[in-house]
Order: sequence, then C-alpha cells, then structure tokens
Amino acid sequence: MKRFMCAVLAVMLALCAVSAASAEFKFERKISIVCPWGVGGGADSTLRPMATLLKPILGQEVEVVNVTGGNGVTAIEYVYKQPADGYTFMLGTQSLFMQDIQGTTSMNFKEEFIPVARLVHAINVITASKKAMDKKGYKSFSEMREYVQKNPFEVSVGMLTSTGLDGASLKQALEGLDILDVSYPSGSEMNSALVGGHIDIMVTGTDEIEGLIAAGDVVPLLALCENRMKRYPDVECSVELGINSVLGPARGIFAKKGTPQEAIDALVAAIEQASKDPSWQSFLVQGCYDERPGFAGPAEYAAACETDYKLLSDYLKAEGVMKKDYYAK
Amino acid sequence: MFELICNVLLWLGLLYAYFFNVLEAPIPDRTARNPYTLKPDVWPKAIIILLLICIAINIINIIRKNRNNPDFSLDALMSIRARLCIGIALVVGASFVLEPLGYMVTCVLVLFFYGLLLGQTHVFRLAIFSVLVTLLLYVVFSVLLSVNLPRGTIPELRNFSLYVEGIVASVKSAIM
Amino acid sequence: MTTWELFTNGFSVLMDPYTFMMVVFAIVVGTIFGALPGVSATMAVALGLPFTYSMQPIPAIVFLVAVYCSSITGGSITAILFKIPGVPSSAPTTFDGYPMAQRGEAGKALGIALGSSAIGGLVSALAMLTLSPQLTQAALSFSPSDLFAVTFMGLSILTCLDSKNILRTLISGLLGLLLACVGQDPMYAVQRLTFGSGELIAGLEMIPVLIGIFAVSEVLKQTKKRDKLTSDESNASVNTKMPSFREWWGIKWLLARCSVIGTIIGILPGAGATIASFLCYSTETKLSKHPEKFGTGIIDGVAASETANNAATGGAMVPLLSLGIPGGNAAAVMMSALVLKGVQLGPLLLVNQPQYLSATFASMVVTNILMVIVAIGIAKVFAQILAVPYSYLGPIIIMLAIIGSYATNMSIADVKIMAIAGVIGLVISACHFNSAALILGLVLGVICEGNFSRAYTISRANLVAMFSRPVAGTLMAVSIVLLLWPIVSGLFKRNKD
Repeated sequence: MKRFMCAVLAVMLALCAVSAASAEFKFERKISIVCPWGVGGGADSTLRPMATLLKPILGQEVEVVNVTGGNGVTAIEYVYKQPADGYTFMLGTQSLFMQDIQGTTSMNFKEEFIPVARLVHAINVITASKKAMDKKGYKSFSEMREYVQKNPFEVSVGMLTSTGLDGASLKQALEGLDILDVSYPSGSEMNSALVGGHIDIMVTGTDEIEGLIAAGDVVPLLALCENRMKRYPDVECSVELGINSVLGPARGIFAKKGTPQEAIDALVAAIEQASKDPSWQSFLVQGCYDERPGFAGPAEYAAACETDYKLLSDYLKAEGVMKKDYYAK
Repeated sequence: MFELICNVLLWLGLLYAYFFNVLEAPIPDRTARNPYTLKPDVWPKAIIILLLICIAINIINIIRKNRNNPDFSLDALMSIRARLCIGIALVVGASFVLEPLGYMVTCVLVLFFYGLLLGQTHVFRLAIFSVLVTLLLYVVFSVLLSVNLPRGTIPELRNFSLYVEGIVASVKSAIM
Repeated sequence: MTTWELFTNGFSVLMDPYTFMMVVFAIVVGTIFGALPGVSATMAVALGLPFTYSMQPIPAIVFLVAVYCSSITGGSITAILFKIPGVPSSAPTTFDGYPMAQRGEAGKALGIALGSSAIGGLVSALAMLTLSPQLTQAALSFSPSDLFAVTFMGLSILTCLDSKNILRTLISGLLGLLLACVGQDPMYAVQRLTFGSGELIAGLEMIPVLIGIFAVSEVLKQTKKRDKLTSDESNASVNTKMPSFREWWGIKWLLARCSVIGTIIGILPGAGATIASFLCYSTETKLSKHPEKFGTGIIDGVAASETANNAATGGAMVPLLSLGIPGGNAAAVMMSALVLKGVQLGPLLLVNQPQYLSATFASMVVTNILMVIVAIGIAKVFAQILAVPYSYLGPIIIMLAIIGSYATNMSIADVKIMAIAGVIGLVISACHFNSAALILGLVLGVICEGNFSRAYTISRANLVAMFSRPVAGTLMAVSIVLLLWPIVSGLFKRNKD
C-alpha cells in the first residue's frame, strides 16, 4: 500500500512539474532575497541596487530581507525553512560554504542549495597601515615578507574572523610566515585600527577603503588576483609573484533545492538583463567590482562554487576544523 | 528557599558548563599554534570561575541568614500563583506556535486568552478587540514597516496570509 | 572654509523648502519608528533609504541624519511608558523612566527624556562641526587595550548599582558577561556554550533578552498581582506635567558630562549609542550624591541615558565624514546610501567637499530642536494607550514584545529567547539579582572580550605592555578603585559596627 501511495505521489509530482514547465514562470507576488549580513555592509549594498533594478524587470516587488547572525547560519536556516516556491532566494558568499564545511548548519548547504547567478566577484587586497609602515620600514610586499621572516610574530594582521574567507586568503598569501592574526567584528573597526596604526596590515575587499587609499593613510601592498588591478597599476598582484592566492569574495544568489526551474530561469534572465543596465555598471565601478567579471549564469557560477568548496575544504581540513568532508574518498 | 534552590541549581549548571560546554568545536590549528593568541575558552572560563566563587558565597549567606527563620521552607514555592503559571505558559506557548500558526492566529489567540487571564469579563468585546488590534499591528508592522511577519507553516494558514498580502499589494499599487 | 562659513553654508541647504519639508517628514517618521519596539535606529535609517533614491547626495544625508537622530529619541517614549525600549540605546531609560511613569509622572519623564536628548544632540553636533579633525585623531589613537579599558570602566559600576546587594549585583553582571559568550566566539568563530542548540549559534541578541527581561516579566508580575483586582480598573491617569526649570537647572552638570562622554563614545570604533547610554548611566550613578535613588525613578537616570545616546549620534557621524569609516551600524547605512550616489568617502571628503559636514550639522541642529515638539505630540498619542485598562494593555505589550523580538532578525529563535528571558526576569527578581546589571554585562560583554583578546595578541601576550599605555593604564586604575571601593568601604563599615 505504502509503495503504491509513493508511486501515485511520484506520478502526481511529475505531472505537476510537466504542467508547470509548459507555462513560462510568472511571479505573482513579492520576491524576497535574504541577505545574511546587516544593512549597510558590503553584501547588503551589493544586493540592494540589484533588487531595485530587478523590480521593473520582474514586475513584482523585490525585497531585501536582512537575517543576520552566526556568520550567515541564521539566514541559511531561515531560507531552508521557507517553502521552495520560487519566492525566497538568498545572497551567498564563500563564507557560507565555510560554515557548512565546519558543520554549523543543520543541513548540508552544498546539497540543499543551488547557485543561481553570481552578481559580483571582488578582489581581496593586502593593505598596510601607513603609520606602521613608517615605523617598521618596509615599503612593498616583498620587503614586508622579509621583515616578517626576520621578526616572527611581530607583524599583526587584521581580518574578519580567521576561519572566514579572509583567513583562508591570507593563509595562502603568507604561507609559512609567523604573524599575529587579529580578528575584527566589522570592517569599520578594522579600518580604524589600521589607520590608527594599531595593526600593521589587513586583508579586505577594496570597496570600503578606496577613500583611505586615496588619502594615503592606507597603502595597498598586494592584490590577490591574476592581473594587476586597473585602479592600482603599481601594486603587485599575487600571481605575478608566484603566490597561489586568488580567492576573493564572490556574491551570488542561491535558491533552495526544489525551487521551480522556471522561477530560477526567470530570475537568471532578469539578473542578466539588470547587469547590463548602465546604473549597475556605474555601481560596479564605484564599488571596485569592475576588476573581475561579475555576472555569471548558473552553470558557470556552480563550477566556480565547486572550485571554492574544494579549496576551502582543504584549508579547513588543514586547520583541523572540518566537520563535513564532501571530498572524502 | 526558592532563592536557595535557584542558586544551587545555577552553581551546579555552571560547573557542568565549565567542563563540558565552554568549547564545543575544535580551535583552528593556526590559532592553537600561535603562542600569542588568547584561546577562546579563557574568557568564559574565567567568568565561570568568578561566578562559582560568588554564587558559593551567596549560598552561604542565604543559609546563614535564614538559619533561624521558621518561614524558610518550601511553602514559598507553593505560593506561586496558578495565574502566573498560566501567564508563563501562554507567553512561552505563543513563542512556539508562532512558527506553525503564523502571526495572525497567534496574535488573536494571545490577545484573547491573555485578556481573559488578566480578568477581562466581556468576552465578546475582548474577541472584537483582539481581532482589531491584530489588524492594527499588522498594518503598522507588515504594511507600513514591511516587516515579514511569520506566515505560518500550516498550508491553509499560509495561504490565508498570502491572500491577505495579495490584497495589501493590490491596494498599495492602486494608491500609487 | 572657516567654521562660520560652514555654519551658514549648512543652513542654506535647509533653506530649500523641499529639503526642509523632507526633514520635517523624517523627524515624524523617525520618531515613530524609534518608538516602535523591534525597529532599531539602524532599521529606521534603512527604511528611510528608498526615499533618498531620487535625492541629491547632500539632501539625502540630511534626510537620513534626521531619521537617525529622531529615532534614537523616539525609543525613549515606549521605554518610559511600557518598559519596552523602542531602540536598544533607550534600555537604561527604562530603569528610571518606567518607575516615574508608574508613579503618574510620565509627562515629566518624557519631558526630561526629550529635552535632554535635544541637548545631547546639539552639543555633539557642535563638537562635530568644530572639532571633527581633532576628535577623529583622538578616536584613532584608541588601541584595543584602551577600548577594553573604556568598557571595563563601564563594568566597574557593578559593585555600586545597588549598595545593599553588592554580591548579587556582581553575580548578575557576571552572568550577563557569560551570556554574551554564547554562540560563535568573536575571534575564531568557535562555538561556545550553545549546549548543542543550533538556535544559539548566532548568540543571544540583545533586543529579545532586553524585551523579555524588562517588558514581559513586568506583564507577568502584573498578572500575578491581578488576582483580586476588578477587570475594568483603569491605570493611573497620565500626568502630562512637564519638568520645571529648577529641575533642569539641578542636572546641568549631568547634562554637560553626559553630552561629552556620549560624543566621545560615539566616535570610538565599535561602540555606539547603546554603550554610550549604559556608560553614562553608570558614571552618573557613581558620581551621584544619592546613588541609591537611581533605579527608583529619578530624573537624573532618564537624563543621563537620553543625553548620552543622542550625543552619540553626532559622534557616530564624525568618523563617517572625516574618514569614511562609519561609527556605527546606522552610519554604515548612510555610508552605503552615499556610496550608491557616487560620493567618494574618505579623509579627502572634508577637504574637498566640506558642505557634507556643514549640511549634516545643520540637519542635526534643526532635527534636535524640531524633534522635541514632534515627539511631545507623538508621546501624547502613545500616552493615551496607557489609559486603556490593563486587561487590554497587558496582552498588547506581550504581542509587541513578540513582534519586536521577531522583527529584528526574522528569527523565531529570538522569540523563544524573549519568552524564556521573560521567565528568567521573574526568577532574577525572586532571587534579588539585578536585571540592569545583567543587561549591562550582556551589552558590554562582546566588545569587552573582543578588545581584550585583540589587545592581548597585539601586545604579544604581555599584560604589562597592554596596560602601560597612558589611556588604558589610567582608566584601568580608576576602574579597579571604583570596583573595589564599595566592597572595601563596606567591610570597613562592618568592622566599625
């Protein structure tokens, strides 16, 4: 009997899927995109302009819902509880993967959520405090590296939680060096500490410190990417120095598994259209997001996520904090 | 007596937490190797130790003060009113049914039953009041402040919430 | 540009009738947002964002600053009337404001709250206009160990919040500090004290705990009391008598002190209006000639907390305008609004475009003055609710508590935490513990531990080096004296007896 019921259900579900697939998806009410970080932060300020642009394209209100806490875990759990009906999506970055690998989420994020589209892909930069540089006497990344080799545990490095993306990116860039890592709860506190010379260097995206760089209080030392940045052509990049570190925060939209494919397709199409909008393009320039290709469709983004998952799994395994091994043989 | 029991329970609970719950996940390797980091268990453990000392002194104080107190018995515990218990049950219950029932139903129920508990005798008036206040709070928080109040997970209630949201959206678009 | 030019330039922005109308609108909306529980000042500013999409950058910041300042003030209305702090920074306002309202002095409490808010806001706006570069340099020179010392000084109040109950107050404060440790630790995101509950990974949000311990446990207490009362018995009528000039004159030094401290705390990275109001409340308790009266409903308590949190608004704007580093979450939202408009924030903003500073200043001045009038009107509407019989009012407060704790983070877990905190609030008063001390510990806990840990690493585990900095050393010495004094003097007295 049970098996029969299952069969009936399966048939019904298949029919539903077929009938839904035949019609193009039309959003009938407001769409929520959950942002796991607070209002005014980097993630939120990426999502809000996109949501504004999506509204006229989709013909429905697109609302940003900030669900913060637990380094993104609260938001994952919130979206996981919502029905997968195509009206709730979430913004994600590699930080969520790291929480997943460390086992803080109640479900397997990697299996329960699907990457939909990438919005921006920023570059992490190692920047130094002008005050501290003058005191310690290094002027470039290579000089700083030599300084650390001669004086272990003397240079302090600011980052946002060392088991986050910054930590991973730093570990790659400063492999084998003895540094003091100092975690900060917010970018603004870390930026003040760097300008005040209380920490020596930090790892961060470039969006929030452009003004400080322009004023000379903060000096970029190394861009963690493949090619030199357009804005800072004099700053060395990691790949040219032979450092294998190109991790940078990629912000994209994720959907809960089971979300109707048509809804996902409709959203992807809308995001792609919005990405070409001149106001989005100028936002990319202002936010320093124009150095790397931003928009990526489902297939490309999924492949990028897969690469990062593998990389971050290795990192967290080496740190001894991995709980879920997606790559166990 | 109630105070003594609470303090003793707190003391035992903290002792348990000290040994089993201060760290619930491994410390990253890099942090563990760095001699100059404050390990994440140091701060909470220091606080727990201070607490254990202070609460122990407090327990001794309570016992000393009440040694010759004839009222010092479990009677005080018994005097907790049934009314208070129902109140607590209502508040805690509301926090648990909010997710399945959603905002609308929970709000009407809380307003109605807590009103009864506080001695309101006009049942009919109270019922109307509950519905009206529910609507008022809905308009303020959901419509004007666009807070996503819980829709409920029971399908019928969820559909009802969506239906209301649909009406609100069409009214909004008609005005604008 | 000279200070005078800045001054006139700022007000010329507000002379534009459209901008002025928007500011008035912002004040009304901001005060109401602030008064509603669950809508913090940050959320209020975020809710104001859509209005700025069509504005030029300068009117946009003028508008958002008006929302920000008035929402911080609005929070005091519900704090005084219902013991629900509308914004977290109004939490200490409940300590004295609610007992005053209970005595039928709601009008006086509100008058003091609104007036001192305006004074705090104006002083910090002036400080921002005239001293921005100096203040910024001072704030930047605060190292993690200095920041730790500042918060530790806030904690040193624990032994004198209630002089008859030093030990229990100390226990409450320590419990607060321990509760602040729940969840992922601030440095390495290692889980602590969650007892395996996934809902606690994010830690204990302050708002649900606050609302639970203050508002819900109050309703539960009333429920217990109401055994023999008749149903339609109405609350004491709300007396709208305003504070007298003599009462204002009596707290002039308090207002001055709290304005200065509030502004400085507002500038410090990581601290904000909430910490400012708690610290000023503690400081004033210390300095008062009658510390035992704090918490029983005196105007000093209300004035200290409200002056400080509004003074912090000016402080929060200083690093935003002079460095491009937001001094708090609300300032971060304003920053994102400016960045969207293509404004290059950073140290060069003040040099190249000083009109941002002057317009912000003008907006703060106008807001802080107009806000008093608007807020009195809004407070009167809210006060009407107090006349409703308690059998209607009690349930509404419970529902506001539920929505308020949910709205912060769309989290059902927060609602459960709020409900449990309500019950714990009852246990706390049954055990003669001190809920104010517990909240103080919870508020300061995270920032205290974080800065201690950072200072420890930066000084390479050298505690002597950590506290040999002039600011940190002085503050720590003062704190330790303050912390131990009541205990020592208590022992001394006992020996005498």
